[in-house]
Amino acid sequence: MEIIISNSSNIPIYEQIKEQIKSKIISEELPEGEMLPSIRSLAKDLRCSVITTKNAYEELEKEGFVKTIPAKGIYVAKINLALAKEEAYHKLENILTTAITQAKMNDISKKDIIDIINILYEEVL
Amino acid sequence: MENILEIKNLTKKYPNFTLQNISFTLPKGMIMGFIGENGAGKTTTIKAILNIINSYSGEIKIFNLSHREHAKLLQEDIGVVLDDAFFPEILTPNDINNSMKGIFKNWDTKMFYNYLQEFSLLPNKQIKTFSKGMRKKLEIATALSHHPKLLILDEPTSGLDPVARAEVIEIFQSFIENVDCSILLSSHITADLEHVADYITFINEGKIILSKTTNELLNEYGIVKCTEKEFQNIAPEDYIKYKKNKYEYEILVSDKKAFKAKYNIKVIDKITLDDLMVLMIKGEE
Amino acid sequence: MLGFIKKDLAMVKSNFKLLGILVVVYTLMGLFGEMDISFILPFMSVMLMISTFSYDNYNKWESYSATLPNGRKNSVRAKYIATIIMTFIFAIITLLLSFLISYINTKTIPYEQTLISMLGNIFGTLLVLTFMYPIIYKFGLEKARIGIFLIIFGLVIIGGFLSSYLDLSFIGKTLNFLGKYIVLIIIIITILMVYLSYKISIKIYSKKEF
Repeated sequence: MEIIISNSSNIPIYEQIKEQIKSKIISEELPEGEMLPSIRSLAKDLRCSVITTKNAYEELEKEGFVKTIPAKGIYVAKINLALAKEEAYHKLENILTTAITQAKMNDISKKDIIDIINILYEEVL
Repeated sequence: MENILEIKNLTKKYPNFTLQNISFTLPKGMIMGFIGENGAGKTTTIKAILNIINSYSGEIKIFNLSHREHAKLLQEDIGVVLDDAFFPEILTPNDINNSMKGIFKNWDTKMFYNYLQEFSLLPNKQIKTFSKGMRKKLEIATALSHHPKLLILDEPTSGLDPVARAEVIEIFQSFIENVDCSILLSSHITADLEHVADYITFINEGKIILSKTTNELLNEYGIVKCTEKEFQNIAPEDYIKYKKNKYEYEILVSDKKAFKAKYNIKVIDKITLDDLMVLMIKGEE
Repeated sequence: MLGFIKKDLAMVKSNFKLLGILVVVYTLMGLFGEMDISFILPFMSVMLMISTFSYDNYNKWESYSATLPNGRKNSVRAKYIATIIMTFIFAIITLLLSFLISYINTKTIPYEQTLISMLGNIFGTLLVLTFMYPIIYKFGLEKARIGIFLIIFGLVIIGGFLSSYLDLSFIGKTLNFLGKYIVLIIIIITILMVYLSYKISIKIYSKKEF
């Protein structure tokens, strides 16, 4: 499993960890039932604090992506992939709505928006 | 969460310095970074916790025991690195091992020699032949080799180069992989702490200014940069401190999201512990 | 506590060479010289122990050792015990050498006389410890050095004054009167002295701030 953390990003580190694990679960790179590293060993390997990885796992658990079995470990939970994808689409729609509102306020055409998306799509890793 | 260290209203008076009502707690399994300027009271607080200064008031509990009544018991379970105090430098790591075997019940000779090897320290050389960084590593190895449950470290990374610092920090993180263990470490190299400390306690002029989780600090606090005109529209209760610079105002806020929602100010920066220290100490209220 | 004693003995280890040289010098002096320097080895051992204070001080061992289990008490106790061990080891070495030297020189061994002289040496050495250690613990080694110099200086002046103006023959008479018991009395006084000194040092040290 690969997790890449940016210390200079404005996104809190626990959120970066959470999002990356989540996307690996959605893409089924981490299949259901797979055991995840413990809070402490993940913190050590990512060189971050224990509270950070704890927060990440807690949020993942709240959203139903992982489950903790006491005294055993943390496992990828059974998730409804369709639902998870739907949620991802929903998020994307929200972000795009903001972008389009901004564009309309500044008289930027639909074609320009699509052009920008095309360029950015290639640029963003 | 269970606390491994609890300090309540610790007060100690010196002729020209006073430690005032220090209170904070360190939960089990966590690393707490203790920051502040030189002379702010870090070392005095640490010495009080270690019970090596007398005549102070307040209560200190370690593993839920009063640290004065159970001094010997507690000392067995605490690993210590002091800023500049250690075995006399004419001794060798071998001598330290021989002595410590007779001092700590749980002294682990094998573990000690493993650390020596890991840190490339020759066991039969006098400490005085070691560089400052090597000495620090030897002190850390010594502090870890009796299986302590609490590490109290005063400036453990000072004198270490970045590579050695990373090495040592990794050892600290392995140490708290055991959920019963905690670390209190003071440092003026705040970058070390930003990454690995779960809690930050900030002391200034003998008083605790804040003691919070690092995430809370780094994710919720922020630095607003604005013009004088914008500054005058901000209600005093919405910021902690401000500093007037030549071209802009820097304002420390405790909840950058709420601030963003209330005011229309563009630049709100992420905060570093260094920024926090400077604004807290040099800023105006 | 054993650990603290080992630490103190390890510190004088590097000076064993010096003591070895003294052993040789002492033997040669005994064989070919006139002067009795049997005090030199026990005395040097206590001097070496005193020098460990300055190494301790330089690396602030006192504050580090206070964080170790029972560190305050044990580090003081260890200094006393290590010093006594050193004194005895070198007194015994001196004793054996004296026997050897006497035998080579005269083919006889004056057991009693040598033993008494060794006892005197131990007494003298431990007297230094008795006075020095509490002063060192209270004021530090530097000030203690000046202090001990003043004490000796004062004693010499007072002694000189007394002997020139007073009749001191009663001391000799008393010693004669005590006769055989003198050995026992010296031993008891030494033990009491060291014990008292130790108690004072512990008391001073337990109040110290680091």
